[in-house]
Amino acid sequence: MRTYQEEYIANTQEAAALTPRRKPEEDSFEAYAARLLRDKARKEELTERNMELLRSGLMPMLDRLLEAGETELEELREFAGKLLRVGTELDAGLFCQIHQALLSLARQKEDRPAIIQELYWLGIGRHSVCNNKLVGLDIADMEPYMAQMRLYFAEAAAYLKYFEEINDSEARAYILRSTANRSMGRFRRVGDRTRLIKRALEVFQDSTYRDIAPELPWNAYIRATHDLMAASISYSREHAMGPQDVADIMESVQLVYNRQVQAARERGERLPPRHAFHYHAIEYYCGIEDLNRLLTRMERLMDEADPWDFSPEGMYSMISLPAFYGNYLQEYPELAGEREMYAAGLYRRVLKYMEDFPEEKESEALFLYLRQLAYTFVETEHSIPYADLLEKVLIRFAPDVYVHSRIVGEAAKELSRLILEEEPGYFDDMEDIRAIADPAEKRQAILDFAEGCGTFHDAGKLNFLDLYSRTIRQWLEEEYELARLHPSGGWNLLSSRSSTSRYAAAALGHHAWYDGSQQGYPASYRRLDHPERQMVDIIGLVDWLTDMTDTARLHKGIGKTFREAVEAAISLEGRRFSPLLTARLRDKRVMERIRQALQDGRMAAYRRMFDESGGRTPAG
Amino acid sequence: MEQKVSTENRVDTGYLVVERPPEAPGRIVFADGGACALAGIGLEDLLAADPAGVLMGLAYREIPLNGGDHTLLLLRSPEEEDLEQANSRLREELEAAEAANRAKSSFLSNMSHDIRTPMNAILGMTAIAQAHIDEKSRVQDSLCKIQTASNHLMSLVNDVLDMSRIDSGRMTINSELFSLADLVHDIAVILRPQAAQKQQRLQIEIGQIHEESLIGDPLRLRQILVNIIGNAVKYTQAGGEIQVEIAQRLEDGDGRGGRVWVDFVCRDNGIGMSPDFLERIFQPFERVKSAKVNRIEGTGLGMAIVKSLVDRMGGSIQVESREGVGSCFRLELPMNAAPQERRSLGLPQGQPVLLVECQEVRAAQMADYLRSSGLEPVCLTTALSAVTWLTEAQYEDRMPCALVLGQELADMSVLELAAHARQLAGPSFPILLVSEADWAQIEYRAVRAGVDAFVPCPLFKSRLLETLSKLICGAQGDRAGESGQTDYSGFRVLLVEDNELNQEIAVELLSMTGVQVETADNGLHALDIFRASPECYFDLIFMDIQMPVMDGYEAARQIRRLERGDARSVYIVAMTANAFVEDIRRSRDAGMDGHVSKPVDLEHLQEVLRTRLQRRESPVE
Repeated sequence: MRTYQEEYIANTQEAAALTPRRKPEEDSFEAYAARLLRDKARKEELTERNMELLRSGLMPMLDRLLEAGETELEELREFAGKLLRVGTELDAGLFCQIHQALLSLARQKEDRPAIIQELYWLGIGRHSVCNNKLVGLDIADMEPYMAQMRLYFAEAAAYLKYFEEINDSEARAYILRSTANRSMGRFRRVGDRTRLIKRALEVFQDSTYRDIAPELPWNAYIRATHDLMAASISYSREHAMGPQDVADIMESVQLVYNRQVQAARERGERLPPRHAFHYHAIEYYCGIEDLNRLLTRMERLMDEADPWDFSPEGMYSMISLPAFYGNYLQEYPELAGEREMYAAGLYRRVLKYMEDFPEEKESEALFLYLRQLAYTFVETEHSIPYADLLEKVLIRFAPDVYVHSRIVGEAAKELSRLILEEEPGYFDDMEDIRAIADPAEKRQAILDFAEGCGTFHDAGKLNFLDLYSRTIRQWLEEEYELARLHPSGGWNLLSSRSSTSRYAAAALGHHAWYDGSQQGYPASYRRLDHPERQMVDIIGLVDWLTDMTDTARLHKGIGKTFREAVEAAISLEGRRFSPLLTARLRDKRVMERIRQALQDGRMAAYRRMFDESGGRTPAG
Repeated sequence: MEQKVSTENRVDTGYLVVERPPEAPGRIVFADGGACALAGIGLEDLLAADPAGVLMGLAYREIPLNGGDHTLLLLRSPEEEDLEQANSRLREELEAAEAANRAKSSFLSNMSHDIRTPMNAILGMTAIAQAHIDEKSRVQDSLCKIQTASNHLMSLVNDVLDMSRIDSGRMTINSELFSLADLVHDIAVILRPQAAQKQQRLQIEIGQIHEESLIGDPLRLRQILVNIIGNAVKYTQAGGEIQVEIAQRLEDGDGRGGRVWVDFVCRDNGIGMSPDFLERIFQPFERVKSAKVNRIEGTGLGMAIVKSLVDRMGGSIQVESREGVGSCFRLELPMNAAPQERRSLGLPQGQPVLLVECQEVRAAQMADYLRSSGLEPVCLTTALSAVTWLTEAQYEDRMPCALVLGQELADMSVLELAAHARQLAGPSFPILLVSEADWAQIEYRAVRAGVDAFVPCPLFKSRLLETLSKLICGAQGDRAGESGQTDYSGFRVLLVEDNELNQEIAVELLSMTGVQVETADNGLHALDIFRASPECYFDLIFMDIQMPVMDGYEAARQIRRLERGDARSVYIVAMTANAFVEDIRRSRDAGMDGHVSKPVDLEHLQEVLRTRLQRRESPVE
């Protein structure tokens, strides 16, 4: 690799390690806060440095890619490979960008093996997006990314017809893998998916192909393809499966299951709960068992889980299984009944498990399982409040997002306070607020609401943590488009649970424009439909001010002083922002109090993180 | 004893009883004096007379007696019968007059309500807008509602005026040349948003069309069709279905007479009509009443106007309907076909066209159209199969002459396929989209995805083939350009690029299309060249960003600042490897209109060239 490439990797890894530790080394909050500020400054430095490296190293190289020699191209491929490795996804966006450029080059040179290889890697890049960032989003939002992934694999797989003519073993391997990978992700019709997998299995078992490239790991391909058939079929039940689909799936499932049982026996262990659950679940999805029986089997597996097992299997049993369990209860509320009590117990156990989890063993999987749990959480009167779980997940895994959100919450509170001094009925569009007769009680209810809206307005960013917290450079255009899905993701998380539903409008609408123009997003937010709109306007404004003066510098390359940001907001009066709010920003006293609230918000967030992470806050 | 019959006093009624034994002639067994008087004979003669002869010339009514063996005949004089008929007629006319009066009264009452309702809305929303004049979204919302109410009010007034013209015989039917395709397109544009608002599925299917250019009164025809389909939308519940079919029949079989019948069917699964209402549907001032609709607004004149217009055009209209099931209107209108020259579209005969659409009917129709022009459609239903087919075609050097995308694929959105096909097949490969969608809504995404042209639904053969012809001939022109012929010879491009190899390749590619290319090595050089050129000399500038002396941003800014007519209008495209959001924003801030990514992606370069220059030359819808 080139020096700039190595440095980029090192910088990105260093920034990832700057995540606040759970058990602060510092005794005092002040020392803890000072470290966080130093880390923040360091992250900004690393981001700037990475941009310099890309602008001076990578971009000029892409600029003259046609002239690049094979060594340089090989280094570029190696660099890309480091950006997206299994289990350590450093920078999937840049990975795709580089491979897109390499694909263009390969097409121009009409270099078929290179075209096939780049198509495969772009498919893998898209798969990473689908797998890690699109969980819990509406299917319509996910579909373009799934489609792109599948089209890359489909084009690479189309070269199967010329398997013999393409005299390149590596390219042949990419063709075969793409043939199977076409079936990854969600399909509109289950039959299409099983048909593609069956086709892949036929190819891998066909001696015509095997004889052409005997050096390839055919049996491994077959195993992986059976795994594929047996995995991710939960979506299938929503779309009727035919008897042939069931037969095809169960044939693969039996093979996979037998292999897993055999492997566990050889290790002298019981079948891991993950595999046991997969097997039972598939029986249910294929209509062999009913849901009640599956739930009972899951309960047995969860009861047997060891709360001190922090291995990947332990995490799966303690967090992911309860998440699946919640998902079934959500989908079939008629089966919930007493099981809701059981689920409530599971959630309490998950919280305890989270607290006990040793910091040195923490991994991406822990976050992914907890995010899964957040999406399927069944909130009842017996359960812990969903808002508590969500806040803990934000603090622990998305501290940057949490800090930003608390700052927005504090500033929203301050602006609401200022408005209430002049117009006590300003928020009376909300029925529950209007119904409060006592002025002091009403004021407090509004301030609490402002804080809650602030805290949770960016909950949807949990889907895009790679972008917001781990991308140590500015965003690419495509990533910016992806980030625009976070309001819908937030709405999906918050709207269906009683402890968070009142904050859902703020999550959905804080990037919408006041005049409803299409520059804002998402289109599904229609301001006048939401009685919370006055508060959503406030969150939208203070979120923008915070972004302009703090976070936007990192990913969008925009930075403004507070005064500049206020002037810009005023210039967008009546279009992006409510004139009722921007009119107040003209008052210097108001401006000063908002500025102060932004600073106080950061410290309040740090304080909360310090307390949550087990730091000692001095008494008094 | 002989009974004396007095005929002095006028007798108008009488009765007699006739016995009708089986298999024997009937005989009169009883008669009253009135019967004798009306028959003009005595009782004995009457009892001996043949009943049929007696009854000749008399009006009577039969009432069977004794299980059918005897019949009581009530007789009336002809004068009495005339009087009765006259009274009956008067009674009917009175009823009709009273019904018409009731309908008119109800119409006036409805109209005053109907006019007052939108007027109230207009006044009320105006007040709201004034009260919230600083809140743009509130004002905007109020204005939208005012506009809706005003449009409604206008349609009420228009209906009343039309009806009055028809009543007074002042309604004339024009005879002018018009395009059936344009007319149907206009109707779809008007009605689709209304159906979409109610989440209804409005399907407009085009059947056999012999002549698209017709002579008739397009305004009135539009009025008829909008009225009928508009009613279907109005009287169909949210989420319902409305299916419209339009087809033609040749009047004399071979079409030599130049006359065609336009058949139009509109079916819905709406609230339907009662048999009683169905009889009165074409009478003025009638509106269907149903508990299923809260309130349907309108004058109740629409269908009366439609009927009058259809009659005047020499056509016919029929309606079938069942309450709670739906309605079906069938319309037949004679039209004259416009004489026209048949010109060749120049489509390559026998060449394959890849057609991807999963709706069978629509795919079959498109395939028929393509086949009729000599092309060979290859029909697929999924994006994955299309990409596989294209990859194989490219490998085997048998690429189709175009890709026609329908509006629905079985596995993903058409635009995803378009974007991938564009990458796969290169910049000069024609991609055409056929869709019901509003082009204005999807243009940005479709053009970015690589779609070259759009044909709206409902689909007419002429539109599909003409657009395809433009595209294919354009693309072949591009290819012909490779051997020296040009397409864009009238256009000039300034290419600003410091990298020699990139510059050389881009110049070579651009030159092949016939466009005249001038080059600059850096931003300052570009600025000098632009400044020295006459106004509107350059049609496009491709501007590299990272360059020595002056970068692309600065060059674009300086060009925009020049005081000359084309300084702000010349289209500047950034060519940059820097695809970060900030870079794109910076290029926009510097006054550039678009960007293409590097490494010098020849496909994108040509795509910009083609879309920009084609747009200026002949805009594709």
